[in-house]
Amino acid sequence: MWFRNLAAVGLLALLTACGGGGGSDSGSGGTATTAIPASCTYAASAEPNIADNGSHPTQQEASRFLAQASFGPREASINALTQSSYASWLNNQFAQPQANHLTCVNQELARAAALGQGGNQDFFFQSWWGQAMTRPDQLRQRVAFALSQIFVVSFEGNLSESYRGIASYYDMLGRNAFGNYRQLLEDVSLHPSMGIYLSHLRNQKENSSGRVPDENYAREVMQLFSIGLYELNNDGTIRLSGGNPIETYTNDDVSGLAKVFTGYSWAGPDRSNARFSESNSARDPNRDVLPMQGYPQYHSISQKSFLGTTIAAQGAATVASMDSDLDIALDRLYNHPNVGPFIGRQLIQRLVTSNPSPAYVNRVANAFNSGSAHGFGNGTRGDMKAVIAAVLLDAEARPASPGTGDGKLREPVLRLANWGRAFNTSSASGSWRIGNTDSSTGSLGQTPMRSSSVFNFYRPGYLPPNTHMATAGLVAPEMQITHETSVAGYVNFMQSVVQNGVGASVSGLRDVRPDYSAEIALANNSDALIDRVNLLVVRGGMKASTRASIKTAVDAITISSTNATNAANARRQRVYLTVFLAMASPEYLIQK
Amino acid sequence: MRQPTRQTRREFLKRLGALSSLGTAAPFALNLAGIGAASAQANDYKAIVCLFMFGGNDHFNMVMPYDTTPHAEYIAVRGTQGAGGIGYARASLAATSFGTLTAQSYGSQFALCPSMSALSTLYAQGNAAVLANIGPLITPTNRTQYRNNSVPMPPKLFSHNDQQSVWQAYASEGVRTGWGGRMGDLLASQNTNTIFTAISAAGNAVFLAGDSIFQYQISNTGATAINALATRPFGIPSATGSASMDALRNIITDASSTSTLNLERDHVDVVKRSVNAAGLVTSALAAKPANSTGIALPTGSTGNRVAQQLQAVARLISPEARAFTGARRQVFFVSIGGFDTHDNETLALQDDAAAGRQGLHGQVSRAIEYFYNATVAMGMQNNVTLFTASDFGRTLTSNGDGTDHGWGAHHFVVGGAVRGGDIYGTMPLTRLHTPTTANDQDSGSGRLIPTTSVDQLAATLATWFGVSGGDLTDVAPNIGNFNANLGFMI
Repeated sequence: MWFRNLAAVGLLALLTACGGGGGSDSGSGGTATTAIPASCTYAASAEPNIADNGSHPTQQEASRFLAQASFGPREASINALTQSSYASWLNNQFAQPQANHLTCVNQELARAAALGQGGNQDFFFQSWWGQAMTRPDQLRQRVAFALSQIFVVSFEGNLSESYRGIASYYDMLGRNAFGNYRQLLEDVSLHPSMGIYLSHLRNQKENSSGRVPDENYAREVMQLFSIGLYELNNDGTIRLSGGNPIETYTNDDVSGLAKVFTGYSWAGPDRSNARFSESNSARDPNRDVLPMQGYPQYHSISQKSFLGTTIAAQGAATVASMDSDLDIALDRLYNHPNVGPFIGRQLIQRLVTSNPSPAYVNRVANAFNSGSAHGFGNGTRGDMKAVIAAVLLDAEARPASPGTGDGKLREPVLRLANWGRAFNTSSASGSWRIGNTDSSTGSLGQTPMRSSSVFNFYRPGYLPPNTHMATAGLVAPEMQITHETSVAGYVNFMQSVVQNGVGASVSGLRDVRPDYSAEIALANNSDALIDRVNLLVVRGGMKASTRASIKTAVDAITISSTNATNAANARRQRVYLTVFLAMASPEYLIQK
Repeated sequence: MRQPTRQTRREFLKRLGALSSLGTAAPFALNLAGIGAASAQANDYKAIVCLFMFGGNDHFNMVMPYDTTPHAEYIAVRGTQGAGGIGYARASLAATSFGTLTAQSYGSQFALCPSMSALSTLYAQGNAAVLANIGPLITPTNRTQYRNNSVPMPPKLFSHNDQQSVWQAYASEGVRTGWGGRMGDLLASQNTNTIFTAISAAGNAVFLAGDSIFQYQISNTGATAINALATRPFGIPSATGSASMDALRNIITDASSTSTLNLERDHVDVVKRSVNAAGLVTSALAAKPANSTGIALPTGSTGNRVAQQLQAVARLISPEARAFTGARRQVFFVSIGGFDTHDNETLALQDDAAAGRQGLHGQVSRAIEYFYNATVAMGMQNNVTLFTASDFGRTLTSNGDGTDHGWGAHHFVVGGAVRGGDIYGTMPLTRLHTPTTANDQDSGSGRLIPTTSVDQLAATLATWFGVSGGDLTDVAPNIGNFNANLGFMI
């Protein structure tokens, strides 16, 4: 799944960058380089006006919802939602325009080129953090991030220098986030970044000397992007036959479907062999962001059988026959009854909770199947608005009193985004210069779009050994990247971030810095300070014991009544300590 | 070539003798399972290291036939490198070919890929052995049984994440204990601190999870301590005493035991282990610095992550570090990724000296060489055994410049206690099954049906490690269907 098209990427970087098994403690929270002028900036924006429909969440309810549906609440977004409703908020979000990462990456590449510099993965990360922390289209971004963990491609591996390709792929996920799953599946299948990552770009038909089509994409599109390994009931439970699970496909299905994914390669004005194989004479400058095109001369014409569908042998392949083959294959997957529960359950896990009940999965799957839920969706199977509404508006999404098995571990990337939004960070350069955050010893242990393999940072079925969750038979995906090193690394990282901000240093200061003025204004009153941080960070769920611990420690920092400088320092220390302790607390780390 | 042999009565008696030699001085900490161990002597030490190659290693391009006819068959399916194929030309294998082994029907001469010359040397010295066509099995299985689905078979064959799990723990994703952790369960009572029984230098691995044993995670440089537990954060003045540090400790370790959600408690447990072990690990590793003689990595290891992981392991198993950890039985997990070579396989796996590039096979070979030498430098080579594992092997067929997901594969066991310089099990045919030329281990496209099971590897290593015969089914649940000892351990 990792190696493809080495001609187009740097070999050395690629071959030393593959750590499919983890242990990839490279990079830091920010790459310090010389100050550079900003060319692609995201500035804090006002909260959108949302219609008032009369059913107003409380502040705590709003904070809780926004932790699921956005990259985290901030005071303004909480207040806006308390004047509105969840449904109105969704309506508003569905209409928010998308900002493209590719635009930003292109600008950064051009600026770097003008300075005689090459590209950098940071160009994407910066755009990602800038959007996450500031842009109003929060729901689209949050869903796109969820989709990026289901339809995985990664900088880690053979896309290590595909800065534009990854940005374009992510934009494609965002574009389809409020569209239809069928289009999403097609756009994923034809995106050259996926073609490179799962190696169906330049995949050739079988030949008489024993060569067979590459089966990589055919296998993973079924296992990971559509139907999974076992037949499912609509509620996500495994169907049984004679007490045994029923496999959705066999190796023969994989081999049959692999023939469909032959003959695709770079887009361009012709379909020559040279363009297919990317010889130097035939390279379209936008081939890394344009959907792959068919090259019939490389497309299998033999019979293609998969999942009970058979495409008869053809005399010759044409562009039209390739399109037809692809449509038949993708329609077969799209219409498989597994898709609703398989994709729906994972979206619940990414946004809401690790172990949704079968009834919850069933309701989300129904939304997928019918294309409508809670008044959202256009009635077409696979409508994503309906699915998202079903995930977020379900009664089980925010139970009044969570059960012992409820909740999900907030993934590290979300924690930093939560902090950035809650405390109104701004970027001194305007470029949000947060780089690779892979290191588990000194950073987050997770970077967007840097999963170690197509199986994501963690698996939806991960069951952490020797835990209460495992004893209860409950999964906890994010625990897969949680260990003795990472938990310490996170606390140390946040200690630094809370005080100094995050990202590359410019003139000795971190590029992305918080604005604690509202918290500092409350710092003389530890109860008021803790209340505010509790609302913004822990959605009001802070335990009494945690609160008491924080209060004791905060009150121990005396605020001078005679020395203004000392008093200002003390107030800042109180704020840092409150935010730091809240973000290290178990009740924050477990979203519920 | 050695065929698996049954565990002999002599070996059983030998273990019994070792047990009785403990006499009345047996440490009280030995529980019943530990007493079953053959080698539970006061000062002994043993470690098992799993080196996992994530993605599915192409074993067909790692150990190859060197006899003329089988090699020609291999080339007939795979083609030749530089001529539109991916197979190694026979001439390129001369330097890494093994000597002539006892002939089987499939030949008597085999060779390693040229990038693995270091492993080839260890093999020649008798410190490395090859396990032929090993993989997950429930019971011996042939092509007819596979195609008729007439015997029980491992779940979710050919799926990466599931077969990683099956190799490590005999069941697909979601399984809760692996055979490394289960060995730890049986023998951890010999360790002063059970937390140091199962250690990963490469992320969470179900291999290391036991019923009572937790995996402990180290980074390449050791443990990470939480700064604000030891030093007041944010320049908070000393007049506050330890209030800020106490608050952090109380909150993250849930000192009041008021967390009720499973996930909260589980996260708290990880934090507690981290806090409790960090100081000890830091002291232990400081006692064996990374630049000490025999431990320092050779030049050229900068990009070799698995060598770096093995360095952390070498430091932790050193006598100097064990003075702190008190460990006598340890299981380790290290890994290297990138083996899913659907494409550009040759480039990915092979060294290219001219380009200054290390392929994955070369990295693995040099990392193992480094680690073996480090154990020799510490006089511990007979106490440490490393084995390789991977998701699965790959197809014999080629898609032009890569291969697809398979099942059985060849692997290595390395160490001074390994009866090396030999191949254990049955080397497979390197041709596809056709109506006229049968290959009973070809499940299709040359995806090998294993002839040796992971259970047999686990049981053989567990026996060396000191797990009693009666406990072997804990470590190797299907061992009743196979010979329990492959005979590769002295």
